[in-house]
Amino acid sequence: MNNFASALWVETLKMRRSKVPLFTVLGFSIAPLIGGLFMIILKDPIKAQSMGLISTKAQLAAGTAEWSTLFNMLAQANAVGGGVIFAIFTAWIFGREFSDHTAKELLALPTSREAIVGAKFVVTAVWTYLLVLWCYVLGLIVGQLVDIPGWTPELFRSATVDILGSGLLVIILLPFVAFSASAGKGYLPSFGWLVLTVVMAQIAAITGWGDWFPWSVPALFAGAVGPRTEFLGAHSYVIIILASLIGLAATFYWWRNADQTK
Amino acid sequence: MINAIETNQLTKRFGDVLAVDAINLRVGTGEIYGFLGLNGAGKTTTIRALLGMVRPSAGDVKVLGQALGPDGRGPWAQVGHLVESPSAYPELSVRENLDIARRLHAKQDSKIVDEIIERLVLGSYADRKAGTLSMGNLQRLGLARALLHEPELLILDEPANGLDPAGVVEIRDLLRSLAHEKGVTIFMSSHILTEVDKLASRIGIIHKGKLIEELDTQKLELLRAKHLEVQVRNLEAAQICLQSAGFKFTIKDETILLNDAQALARPDYIAHILVNAGSAPTRLAIEQQNLEEHFLQLTGGAQ
Repeated sequence: MNNFASALWVETLKMRRSKVPLFTVLGFSIAPLIGGLFMIILKDPIKAQSMGLISTKAQLAAGTAEWSTLFNMLAQANAVGGGVIFAIFTAWIFGREFSDHTAKELLALPTSREAIVGAKFVVTAVWTYLLVLWCYVLGLIVGQLVDIPGWTPELFRSATVDILGSGLLVIILLPFVAFSASAGKGYLPSFGWLVLTVVMAQIAAITGWGDWFPWSVPALFAGAVGPRTEFLGAHSYVIIILASLIGLAATFYWWRNADQTK
Repeated sequence: MINAIETNQLTKRFGDVLAVDAINLRVGTGEIYGFLGLNGAGKTTTIRALLGMVRPSAGDVKVLGQALGPDGRGPWAQVGHLVESPSAYPELSVRENLDIARRLHAKQDSKIVDEIIERLVLGSYADRKAGTLSMGNLQRLGLARALLHEPELLILDEPANGLDPAGVVEIRDLLRSLAHEKGVTIFMSSHILTEVDKLASRIGIIHKGKLIEELDTQKLELLRAKHLEVQVRNLEAAQICLQSAGFKFTIKDETILLNDAQALARPDYIAHILVNAGSAPTRLAIEQQNLEEHFLQLTGGAQ
């Protein structure tokens, strides 16, 4: 446990000293702020028409100015934007050790490799979930400031599940990004993995197999194509957890057993 | 006596490439073992195997009496290491980088960081980000990290890399004092022959993955020993002259070789008696077969 506490302290220090977490906060602030802008535009359609392309697109993409629309945007932002930003953060946490050539300093130590990898996963999970919460809270503040209609306690409850749940599902899938950054010894392989999963998730969703493809599940959960109960079943949650466990096991196994030549 | 490092038929393959070929190493406690080899000879792969960073394809490794596990477990609390080029977290200060090493070595006392900063003369850089350090100071940081927890065994890959001449001497003295005063075992690889020659009590030469020769203290002394080379027109007459003067010598390639201390101290006297005997030397020179020549002979030079 002391081993793990040390590793956690080390990972936290590395994160605190970097600008990467700040960039992720800025990146994850975009969705609620843009959502707020859309709400302002949609609240006054006549004025929106006079604003040209942006307002027209906002009308098409976002619908009407009300809480359900904003909540839907936030859930989608978590499911899709979160997938990208969280993957970049995870790739940085694991891949930096190879880009900075510091991996070799983490291998022959009294602190076990498992503790170090575990600490990396904890820092990743905690920080990315804080980003989800930040997006949610900032969205609530923006919605209050713009003063949009349609708030009901039931909507608030279901939207909270949508937003926080879709963020959680994205986070659950991050171990494969960690594995690709580790086994690929740098950032690039994990970015390749990210692109692959985004494309495959689209294809799986379009062909109707999204409920069986883990990387399609967060967007379906967020209501990208309609109510999730119509598209997801218990098997979807089982498969996403299985994918997560496989990714975790692969990452731990790789750090324990693979030849470390970089 | 337990060997600080022991390998038995240590072999490492990367696909078709045989990086290390059945190496048997024995490094005794308190020894300074120099591990010499050309670039790509297998030095770093051997060092990584000694540190559990790569798994042997065959054979086994024992460090401080403990067999290394397949998952890289070993007596790492007692081992300090520096592998290949030094590295550090660039956005963290020198002190923070060392504090990370302290934490991961489970050392509670934060004073050890200040002590090692002082010892490696990093005081003026302590609060500077590691990313702004020169190569030499980054090397010092790497050495500080290796020494921070006062290990029993140091495994150092090219420890003099990037250091200026004064730094090289300083680190050499530091390593020597650690070995002689604290009994620390040092296994250091290098391609800088003079550096190894000045420090090591035993040397292993690796070439194309094989440990082709080990030089113990006696053989090193021999290599380091000087001799007087004398060439004359009349070899027979010169031999009689030197014999009658009481000098012992050997003949090699028509050259008289004298190891005698008096001959080495007074080559002019040798010249004098040879001239008086009517066998004036055509060449008289004090020579030293050094490690470099020996190494190049063994490895075929830069081939």
